[in-house]
Amino acid sequence: MGGKRYQNLQGYSFLMPALIIIVVFTIVPIAYAFFMMFFKVDILSGSRSFVGLSNFEKLFQDPKFWASFENTFKYVLVVVPIQTIIAMALASILNSRIKFNRTFLTIMFIPTLTSSSAMTLIFMWLFNNNGLVVNMIGNLFGTKILFLSNPDLALTVIMIMNIFSTVPHFMIVYLSGLQDVPDSLYEAASIDGANRFKQFLYVTVPQLMPISFYVVTMGLVGCFQIFDQAFILSNGTGGPQNSTLTFSLYIYQLAFTSNDMGRATALAFILGLIIFTVTFIVNKLLKADKVNG
Amino acid sequence: MRKIAILFAGATLLVGLSACNTSENTSSSSGDEISLAVWGSSPSETEGLERTIASFEKESGIDVNIEVVQDNFQDALTARFAAKNAPDVTYMESSAAPKFINSGVLADISKDIKNQEDFYQPMLNSFRDEDGKLFAVPKDYSTLAMYVNTDILTKAGYKMEDVPTDWEDLVNFAKKLQGKLDNGQSAMIFDTSIARHMSSLIASGLNPVTDDDQANFTSSPKAIAFLQSLVDGKEAGYLHNPSIDLGVDSASAAFGSNKTVIMIEGNWVLSALKQEYADVKFEVLPAPTVNGKKQTMTFNVGYAVSKDSKNKKEAIEFVNYMTGAGLQQWSEISGTLPTRQSVAKKMNVDENPFLKAHVQGAEYGTVWSSGINLPVISTAFDNQFLAALNRDKTVEEAMKDAEKEANDEIERQQ
Repeated sequence: MGGKRYQNLQGYSFLMPALIIIVVFTIVPIAYAFFMMFFKVDILSGSRSFVGLSNFEKLFQDPKFWASFENTFKYVLVVVPIQTIIAMALASILNSRIKFNRTFLTIMFIPTLTSSSAMTLIFMWLFNNNGLVVNMIGNLFGTKILFLSNPDLALTVIMIMNIFSTVPHFMIVYLSGLQDVPDSLYEAASIDGANRFKQFLYVTVPQLMPISFYVVTMGLVGCFQIFDQAFILSNGTGGPQNSTLTFSLYIYQLAFTSNDMGRATALAFILGLIIFTVTFIVNKLLKADKVNG
Repeated sequence: MRKIAILFAGATLLVGLSACNTSENTSSSSGDEISLAVWGSSPSETEGLERTIASFEKESGIDVNIEVVQDNFQDALTARFAAKNAPDVTYMESSAAPKFINSGVLADISKDIKNQEDFYQPMLNSFRDEDGKLFAVPKDYSTLAMYVNTDILTKAGYKMEDVPTDWEDLVNFAKKLQGKLDNGQSAMIFDTSIARHMSSLIASGLNPVTDDDQANFTSSPKAIAFLQSLVDGKEAGYLHNPSIDLGVDSASAAFGSNKTVIMIEGNWVLSALKQEYADVKFEVLPAPTVNGKKQTMTFNVGYAVSKDSKNKKEAIEFVNYMTGAGLQQWSEISGTLPTRQSVAKKMNVDENPFLKAHVQGAEYGTVWSSGINLPVISTAFDNQFLAALNRDKTVEEAMKDAEKEANDEIERQQ
């Protein structure tokens, strides 16, 4: 049967559906964004004029940019480590053959299955100034903590919410990784006199390194791109006082509220650059390549 | 095997092409059909729209395809225009109109709309550009008025006559009233956004949008004092925000579930109060005067025609019908207020005890629309005023910061 050309044709024909979608919805928009960030673009009429790097200049002078920068980094720095640690700990507890672990697993997984917008509404209901959590704290300690209208706490609610809903997913990933850790390693460690905690620290954690790399990377990317929770919680404004304004939300505001696609794409480029750099550093730190062999 | 592969590749291409083809077909329809973008609204408004459109279709033979955008209408509309896939006719809020007019995506309909002097002129004017060209026609409007829950008021030992008509007295009244209410009830609820307070600020000698489209929040001490009264009321616990403090979705929900005595809201609350909270007893008074001046906000919505519409003639015919011959039918079924004075007279809306205060407001109300920079200016205000309400800043500081925030952003947009 035919030569290489035929095989190529066959291969591409199988790839075609996916390729068309990726080119149309990913490659072309990215290329277009690279082009647009040097222009002042009126998204409504489609008119544009070349402005060079002034979109970036404007962004760096913009206090809202720095607010979103601060919020997003704060968010990533808190959420990623906590969700990784909790996911790993829960997975090893579930793996240690405790009773009803299947039931527990099923219940734990529900938050991941819930859509993030529904989750946000539930949390807003719980944390609003007359909601369950606020009233409970009020009854117990006699002080009313206003989570959603206090700029210092609004972001915390989103953090809690995100940890709550992503931990189960990463827990499952860890659980599958734990099944691959050979029992002989634990046996050897216990002969050497390591207790349960030390076994976890010196056997489980290093063995799970490739999985951790995946979890941390996906966590980072997801956290940097946080949008829907902040959008719903603040009704699209990023308030109170810009405290829930994240990069993605500000990109959205620039594009659709300020009608300025040029600055929006410039900010999207900055966000892409940040995610790339941070992932690169994490890759170096966790030495994922080496662990993977 | 080779044949299968070629066949498959061919099939994929074909499916792709035919998909493009069908979408082409729908957008360039024969001309007997126009598309209309609306936002999802109350059941009575939906019914009113459907039945008025049915009358139009019967009379003109033009089909109207209603596209309901459920959430974030302005953003969705912006995306549709950007994609060159705009609906022929769309709902247009007066506050958003300058942005669309300025971008030149709406059709100039100055000469196509009949009997323009019959409309309430401030509403019509909010859809004009600087040269006076008209780009949309008002279809209905809402104004703010003061709703008083008479059940709780009587229970607290007051009569309707005790409710003051001036803002300063009203705030003092709320203070007294709060002491006689149950736990969890609020004397008065308020909204934090500038869209509800711009007329009060103007009555205090401050126009937040200057003649050259810049923000101004600081030039009037009286305006600061007005905002201070809101902050003080929230701090002392006799003014509440329904969603932040009471944990309900909307002002009408708080009012309907007897959580508040007084609210200053638009006539959009009436359908909820009549249907979902039918046993609530209330009366409607004009919005309170501020510094002795009559004030209220007017929010009006119109129909705009897309400039690139392929069915412009039909679209204009539709707009003329909906804001002309069909206006009364629409207003009656939907319960909205008619934008033509002749229709208002015919419907006797000012004899309805619930609507009277709202209709009177149309004469002196400030239309929520003020140039292309209004979204920037209002965002900055809302953001900073919240800081004042949270006691992170004084009102003076917050307003100074809001003014700077808005003007810096306006400069960046140049």
